[in-house]
Amino acid sequence: MSWNLTSSVAPVSRLWRTLAFRLTAGYALAGLFLVFLATASLYLLTVAEMERSTRLFIEDKLHVLRTMLRERPGDGDALREEVELESAARRYEQFYIRLLDEQNEPLLTTPGMAEQLDLEQLATQTGIRPGRTVRMKGRHGRAFRVTTATAPVGSPPTQTDTIQIAIDVSQQEEFLQRYRLWFFSILLGTFVALPLIGYQIARRGIRPVEDMAATARRISSTNLRERILPDGYPFELASLAGTFNQMLDRLEDSFERISRFSADIAHDLRTPVNNIRGEAEVGLARARTITEYREVLESCLEEAVRLSDLIGDLLFLARAESPLAHVRRESVNIVELLDGMREYYEASAAEAGVLLTTSANRAPVIAPLDRRLVQRAVSNLVSNAVAHTPPGGSVVLAASSEDSAVHIEVSDTGVGIPSEALAKVFDRFFRLDSSRSQAAGGTGLGLAIVQSIMLLHGGKVEIASQLGQGTRVTLHMPIAEQGHAAAVPNHHMTKT
Amino acid sequence: MRILVIEDGAKTAKFLKKGLSESGFAVEVSGDGLDGLHLALEMEFDLVILDVMIPSLDGWQVLTRLRQAGRRTPVLFLTARDAVHERVRGLELGADDYLVKPFAFSEVLARVRSLLRRAPQRPQEIIRMADLEINLLRQRVTRSGQRLDLTFKEFLLLSLLAQHAGEVLSRTLIAEAVWDMNFDSDTNVVDVNVRRLRSKVDDPFPQKLIHTVRGAGYVMESD
Repeated sequence: MSWNLTSSVAPVSRLWRTLAFRLTAGYALAGLFLVFLATASLYLLTVAEMERSTRLFIEDKLHVLRTMLRERPGDGDALREEVELESAARRYEQFYIRLLDEQNEPLLTTPGMAEQLDLEQLATQTGIRPGRTVRMKGRHGRAFRVTTATAPVGSPPTQTDTIQIAIDVSQQEEFLQRYRLWFFSILLGTFVALPLIGYQIARRGIRPVEDMAATARRISSTNLRERILPDGYPFELASLAGTFNQMLDRLEDSFERISRFSADIAHDLRTPVNNIRGEAEVGLARARTITEYREVLESCLEEAVRLSDLIGDLLFLARAESPLAHVRRESVNIVELLDGMREYYEASAAEAGVLLTTSANRAPVIAPLDRRLVQRAVSNLVSNAVAHTPPGGSVVLAASSEDSAVHIEVSDTGVGIPSEALAKVFDRFFRLDSSRSQAAGGTGLGLAIVQSIMLLHGGKVEIASQLGQGTRVTLHMPIAEQGHAAAVPNHHMTKT
Repeated sequence: MRILVIEDGAKTAKFLKKGLSESGFAVEVSGDGLDGLHLALEMEFDLVILDVMIPSLDGWQVLTRLRQAGRRTPVLFLTARDAVHERVRGLELGADDYLVKPFAFSEVLARVRSLLRRAPQRPQEIIRMADLEINLLRQRVTRSGQRLDLTFKEFLLLSLLAQHAGEVLSRTLIAEAVWDMNFDSDTNVVDVNVRRLRSKVDDPFPQKLIHTVRGAGYVMESD
C-alpha cells in the first residue's frame, strides 16, 4: 500500500499525516479489496458453472443421439423427434442439431438452424477439434456453443455419421452482463460508502484522543486542575488518560511546591530585610547616643548574617540540583567523622541536658565520600536531634557498612514527628513548629540540604519517628563509583 | 602594605576601603576594569582585591592581562556567582583566593592577612595577655598564677583567639579552625563553647579578655 507521496501531491501528503485519513484509507482499501474479491470470484464461479452445465447438456444430447444411432439406426421417427421437434419446442436455451452422413449430406436438421447459424463456419470451426465445445457467433449476433462429434451407426457399425450441435447461450450472456453491471454498481457503491463509513469510524475512535489534546491545550501553569475523565473511553485510551492524569498530578504537586517554596523564600528573606530596614529607619529618625547607634548596627548585622546564611543555604540547594554539581570524594573514616561531630556538639548537648554519644561499635567504616558534604549532612541531623530532645534524653550517632553501601544513623529520644508531617520534613522551609525553629536560628532548609547531599552521593535518607518516643534518621550511601569522582580537581582554597 | 580594590559597587568598595584602612592597610579603589588594570600596572601593590563583574573589562580579563604583564601580585577574587567551574576558572587564571558574596568583612581580612603572610609566622611558645599565660608547647594555661583546667578543644579555642588577639574571628572561622567543620554549620555551637571557655578563663577574674562582637564573632583583647 505505498503510493507516491511526493511534493506534487502535497495536500495528500498533508492529509496522510492525519490519523483519521490513514485509518479511513486503510479501511476503504481493505473493504474495496474484499468486496472486489468476493464479487469477482462469484462471477468467475458463475461463468464456470454455466459453461459446465452447457457442456453437460451437449454431452447428454450427444449421448442420446449416439445411443439411438447405434441401437436403432433404422428408427427415423424417433431421431426426427429428437432432432427436429424437441429442439423446436424449447423457448429457453434453444439448441440446434444437424445430423450428417458419411458423405457430409445432411440427414436431419433442426428447423431454423441454417437461419441462425452459418453452417459452413460451424463445420470448419468445430472440425479442427472434434468433440470440443467451441464458442461461435450466430447470424443475428447471438452467442452459441457448438460442437461436432462422430457417431457410429448400427451395431456393429456400418457407417459413421456426424452430429453437429449448437446451443444458444445468449440468455446466459445477458445474465452475465446484468451480473457485471451489478458487480460494478456494488464496487462503485462500496468505493463511495467505505471511505465515508471508515472516516466516521476513525473519527469516533480518535475523538477521545482529540479530547485529551484539547484538555492538554487548556492546561497551563495557572490551570493545572483540569483532568481527563477516563469513563467511557476504551481500555487503551483510558490507560493513556490515566497516565496523563498522573503526570498532571505530579506536575501540579511540583508546581505547588515551587510556588509554596517561592512564597516561603519571599517570607524568609523579607523578615530580616524588614528588620534591617525598620531598625535603621527608626534609628536614624532622631539623634541617638553612641550606644543606641551601636545597638542598631549590631542588630542589623545579626539580621544580615541571617540573610546571608539563608542565601548560602539556598545557593547550596540550587547548586546541588544543577547537573554541574559534583562530589569531591576522598577516603573518609566515618567513625572518626562522627567522633569529631560528637566533640563539636558535646558542649551544646551537655548544656541542653542531652547525652550525646557515638555507638559502641568502633570498627572503622571507611568509604570514598565528600567529607565536607557528609559532615554538613550529619551536622544538620545532630543539630536537629539535640534541639528536639528534652533534657535527660540522648542522641546516638552510629555508622555501619556492608559490601556496597555505608549507613550513618542519628537517633534521638526526642519529641518525635507526627506521622502526617513525616513526608514533608524534607521539603524546603518545612518547619514543624515555625516559632521555635525560627528562634533556634534554623532556616527550615536543614533536612532539604541533607537530602540533596544524599542525592549527590547517589544515596538516600530515611526517617522514622514516633511521637514522644524519638526520631531516627538514616543516611544510606552507595560506595560504587569511585573513579568518577577522582578526576575532579580538588581546589580546597575556599570556604563557603 | 598597599591594597588595590577593583570593585564597581560603591558601597562595597567603600566599606572595604574603610575596614582595610582601619586595619592598617593603604587602600586604592577603582570602579572600572580598565582603570583598575592601569593602576595595578602603574603602581606597586601588595594585593589586588578584584570583583568579577565590573565595567569595561571584567575581572577575568583584568587578571589575565595582569598576569600577561608579568605581575605576580596576589589577587583575591570577589564574586556573587558561586559556581564551581567559575571558581576553578579564577584559580586557573592565577587568582590566589576567592570569596563569594555575601561575605563577612572579618573573612576578607583573614584572607588578606593570610595572602600577605602577615599571619604569625614563627610559632610562639608562650602567649601572654594581661595576667593570662598560654604555653602552646606544654598546652598549659595559667591566669594570675592559677592553673586553668581546660579540655583540649577549649585549649585550641583559646589559643586561636589569643594568636589572633585584636582580630574579630567569625563563628564559621572558629568552627573550622577548632573542629574542622568546613561549612556554615550550626554556629550556636561555637557560642556555647565560647561561653564554657569564658566560665573558666574570664568569669572568675575581674578583667575580661574574650569579647563578643555582635553579629560578627569573637575577639580577644586586654583593653
